[in-house]
Amino acid sequence: MNLRYLRNELYYQKRRTLAAVIGLSIGIALLIILNALSMAYRRAAQVPLQEIGADVTVQRSGNVPKDLTGAVFPCSAVTIRNEEVKRIEALPGVRGVGKAVLLWVFDPDRAWIVLGVEQKNAVGPAILSASVTEGRFLEEGKSEALVEVAYARQFGMKRGDTLSVAGREFPVVGLVDASRATKLAVANVYLPLADAQDLAGSSKPLQSVSPFDPGDVNLLFIKADQEKIPELAASLRGILGKKATVATPDSFLKLLGSLFALSDKFTMAASLIAIIVAVLIAFKTMAGNIAERAKEIGILKAVGWTNHNVVVQLLTESVVQCFLAGLLGILIALAAAFGLGFMQVSIPIPWDMSPTPHFLPGGGDQIFKTLRLPIHVPWTLAAFAVLLSIVIGGMTGALLGRHTAKIKPSEVLRHE
Amino acid sequence: MSRSTILSGMDLSKKYETLEVVKGVSISIDKGEFVCLVGKSGCGKTTLLSLLSGLERPTKGNVVLNGKKINGATEDELALFRRENVGFIFQSFNLIPTLSAWENVALPLFPMKMTGDERRRRASELLDQMELGQRMDHLPSALSGGEKQRVAIARALINHPKIVFADEPTGNLDSATGDAIMDILRRLHREEGVAILMVTHEAELAEQADRLIRMHDGEVIS
Repeated sequence: MNLRYLRNELYYQKRRTLAAVIGLSIGIALLIILNALSMAYRRAAQVPLQEIGADVTVQRSGNVPKDLTGAVFPCSAVTIRNEEVKRIEALPGVRGVGKAVLLWVFDPDRAWIVLGVEQKNAVGPAILSASVTEGRFLEEGKSEALVEVAYARQFGMKRGDTLSVAGREFPVVGLVDASRATKLAVANVYLPLADAQDLAGSSKPLQSVSPFDPGDVNLLFIKADQEKIPELAASLRGILGKKATVATPDSFLKLLGSLFALSDKFTMAASLIAIIVAVLIAFKTMAGNIAERAKEIGILKAVGWTNHNVVVQLLTESVVQCFLAGLLGILIALAAAFGLGFMQVSIPIPWDMSPTPHFLPGGGDQIFKTLRLPIHVPWTLAAFAVLLSIVIGGMTGALLGRHTAKIKPSEVLRHE
Repeated sequence: MSRSTILSGMDLSKKYETLEVVKGVSISIDKGEFVCLVGKSGCGKTTLLSLLSGLERPTKGNVVLNGKKINGATEDELALFRRENVGFIFQSFNLIPTLSAWENVALPLFPMKMTGDERRRRASELLDQMELGQRMDHLPSALSGGEKQRVAIARALINHPKIVFADEPTGNLDSATGDAIMDILRRLHREEGVAILMVTHEAELAEQADRLIRMHDGEVIS
């Protein structure tokens, strides 16, 4: 293989080189961007759960008492027994479980949503400690309350006030901007888990439809091994029964409804088409190249180049062209990813996962988690694209070999 | 074959389907001999040249070039044999358009293990002989017809061939340039002792050879 000849061919045959490089680079860029888009939607689908410090949330639907007084469970989150929690904690793939109790509290003067949280558990709503705007987060062993900042503003509450929730009093130790931090299990008031469990346990209307013992909860936040989430979800449904609502990144992905979010199969099929297009472009260009250069190949053979010499020379040209196409494809994909990064994705949050009574302001509104599409081209995908380009370049070598072997110098050099 | 014979073709025939282009031709050329193959257009001169140079395989008969029977050789063996023993000059020059003059001259050396400097040195020596030393780095598109043919001659000589096959080497040139090319070929023959088999249909050029072989309708008639 002669580098000087290679360089001259690529440089002086600009039209031919550009046609091959640009054609193939579009196919490669398409492949990269399709996969980057698919990954971006997957990342976006993880955001609602990540914001609440979990990979999976679990709840169970049930009945709402006819008598809406005091603390009741929303219909989407009724009792999960302590024994069930223990079985869940022992499931393979579970790295941590955060427990919570979500209550609708109907007091004579107002109705509000109360969430009982574990103050020190890194999994689950304790992640909101980072969103405290005034005062401090809940401390262990203290009966105290944290109020959502917008709710506090609406009702003129401030740090140092005392709240009366279902007949029990709690000092307000801080304000938290929860609705900005997360869209799941958003409450108006945050209490220690034990206090919320006491409120639930002592509520007769609640007990009448959903028996609740000390240690029970109605919301679980699970940190899990990503690759085990699908089988974990199946196990969770097995433990909690048909009424279980298990939210995973995949369930949010389905809510997105985008073609890229629908299935890996679509991305795979589209990628395959992109690869086939790229291969066809490379083969077509190279076949045209061979036909155009039949006389040149005849000259090479006449002056003593073996078939192997010719094939290696043309194969190297093909590989270098495809390599350049791979690099250009990455640049095109990066530019496209930059543009697509301005696109906004709105992930609908099912009412079940952030239940607000319909008669409260905003109770019937569809909540969305809106974010910019978190798209980027990972270096592994870029490296794969370049490798694929080189393989495509190499594959054309097989075609080259067959064609160049058939070219007889005497036939192509016979003078006009 | 005598010790002085560089090339011999025995009972050579070439058929394309039903058309027999070369019919039982026997021919031999001695070392350092300048032979012209003449005849009308379409009489089989170029085909016979291709058979004798190993560019094409005869339907029947044998070719012995520099003591080696080349009929049974593979395509790659023939290519290597051509690289070491044969030089070609074509009517339409057949230079690679993307390579400079010296790179075209060095083209047969590209597959050989050799430094780039050595290739350039050998090519430049030949181009100097062809009075093209100043045009070494020019592409063929920047050269005149006569210059292109001199580059082609230099390329034919780069591997010190035993025999040069020239197919209508002046066919695309005006008469003055053609004469100049013929002068170079005669000088090569005289000073370097290279055997030359030249195909032409121009009687004036043919007369400058040591020997004339006339072809008609695929056969050697004298």
